Amino acid sequence: MKRIAPIDIAGGILVVAFLALLPMFAASNYLTGVLTVCVIYGIWASSWDFMSGLTGRENFGHSLFIGAGAYTAGFLSSIWSANPWVSLPLGVVIAIAFSLLVGFPTLRLRGPYFALAMLSASAILQRLCLIFWEYTGGEEGIYGLDPLMKNPLHYYWFVLAILAVTVITLTLLARSHWGLLLRAIRGDEATCQAAGINVTFYKIVSLMISAGFAGLGGALYAHYQLQVSPPLFSVVVSITVIIMVYVGGIGSIYGAAVAAILLTLLTEMLRGFGEYRLWIYTLTLMLILFFLPNGLIAPLWRRLTERLR
Amino acid sequence: MTDPLEVHDLLKVDGVTKRFGGLTAVKNASFTLKKGEFTGILGPNGAGKTTLFNILTGFMQPTSGTIHFNGDLVRELAPYKVVNRGMARTFQLTRPFVGMNLLENVLVACMSPRASEDKNKEERASYLLAQVGLGGRDKEPVETLPYGDLRRLEIARALATRPDLLLLDEPFAGLGSSEIEQLAQLIRRLHREENLTILLIEHKLREFMALVSRVIAMNFGEIIAVGPPEEIVKNEKVIEAYIGKTEEAHASA
Ligand SMILES: Nc1ncnc2c1ncn2[C@@H]1O[C@H](COP(=O)(O)OP(=O)(O)O)[C@@H](O)[C@H]1O
Ligand SMILES: [Mg+2]
Repeated sequence: MKRIAPIDIAGGILVVAFLALLPMFAASNYLTGVLTVCVIYGIWASSWDFMSGLTGRENFGHSLFIGAGAYTAGFLSSIWSANPWVSLPLGVVIAIAFSLLVGFPTLRLRGPYFALAMLSASAILQRLCLIFWEYTGGEEGIYGLDPLMKNPLHYYWFVLAILAVTVITLTLLARSHWGLLLRAIRGDEATCQAAGINVTFYKIVSLMISAGFAGLGGALYAHYQLQVSPPLFSVVVSITVIIMVYVGGIGSIYGAAVAAILLTLLTEMLRGFGEYRLWIYTLTLMLILFFLPNGLIAPLWRRLTERLR
Repeated sequence: MTDPLEVHDLLKVDGVTKRFGGLTAVKNASFTLKKGEFTGILGPNGAGKTTLFNILTGFMQPTSGTIHFNGDLVRELAPYKVVNRGMARTFQLTRPFVGMNLLENVLVACMSPRASEDKNKEERASYLLAQVGLGGRDKEPVETLPYGDLRRLEIARALATRPDLLLLDEPFAGLGSSEIEQLAQLIRRLHREENLTILLIEHKLREFMALVSRVIAMNFGEIIAVGPPEEIVKNEKVIEAYIGKTEEAHASA
């Protein structure tokens, strides 16, 4: 087990405290709402990074798990009128079930099968939502979900706490012997086999963990929007998440979370630029990824704190 | 069905053949290894030695034939399962985990189910590094390691899985003569002290003489002779493969 440097712990506490206090300075439900979405993206991005960042097996359909968690919440809360708190554990379970469905047959194979299967599975789910519109509400989706908490600020703090728990859990796992094996799998699967390691098992379990947190994030998102619709399964969501991880610094987990928050904020702030918004956003990303192939957040943090380690 | 005389056969290879399209890389190979034996596989480049290792360790499936290890059929087992039955290998072209230090490279193998009794993984990995002559260098990155040390690292990783049978694929290739002597000493010591059965591939006759007690000579995928090294060097087929037909063998490799 690699220990976590005190400076990293201090940095983490500062960031979380800053995020928690941010809505107090400029009290507005709009800002609280934007921050809630930022933080949920943080959960999605760090959960992607755990599996794909560490093992190097890229998942092009993380939206499958996100959508699975969200729709589980939608069905439970809106259609079956279940207690909204049931959504969270069941969202996790259903997302994990999907990860087994796709991961089990494809993660034992080498080559692009897993990445493509994830992409197709998320696209298929999006189509199925439209085909079975009588049950899923089609394009409009499902609405009328119950909120988990009445006060938006409380809900934001709750989601922020879940992000903190997610990042801490995944970081501890990544720094354990387990994480070492996942990094070894990225390095050379044949050498792992020669070292007696069941490569497929570790890949599947890490995908299950990744899916579980993504599903949790999906259910949290559903109970924030109080509505779910097919674009949750879209490739756009998956690609957005992947870009966030690359900007954060792949394999760092905390970098993915911070990048997700900053990039989501950036999209919001660019609303004022109207039609130029997408151009500015894309250009910013291209510049970052072109000049900083290792990402921005994690390398920057490591450099800033080099002397304090 | 077990013949009582065969109980001590650690490895039993029976009629193993491997074809790659039109090429037969291993042709009807049969041999046995007894517990504690130190055997060499000799053969010019392209003789099928590495292919045979790949088949034994589950990295490739034979076209036909069977392999018994410790009395169990190991054909069609995944490579990691073969390792956990006690058969570990090194690669001819060393394959370290880049981006990790020496300790972490060995630590990965300490996580295998067969090493589950080793509770303190770091301690064990560190001990193994010292065993192969890389002691005190736990935190060094593998990227800057010279070839000879990479070979030692491969051996430490294989030992971490607590093998009964250790397969070494050309451990001396590309090393200078003093490095070869040191590595040979290490391998000899492991054989003596760790209760290991060793099968070692080499394509130069000279390295074998002092090391192994028995040689399996291969050429064009076939086993052409088996015997102690003194006899092998006098064997006509072996001499032909190495001297008479060298040009031809290289041309077709
Ligand atoms: N994966 C493969 N596909 C096709 N041919 C192969 C493969 N691996 C080895 N060969 C061929 O099989 C023969 C034996 O190779 P190899 O076992 O590596 O020989 P050695 O280790 O004795 O030098 C060579 O002619 C080689 O080109
Ligand atoms: Mg070879």
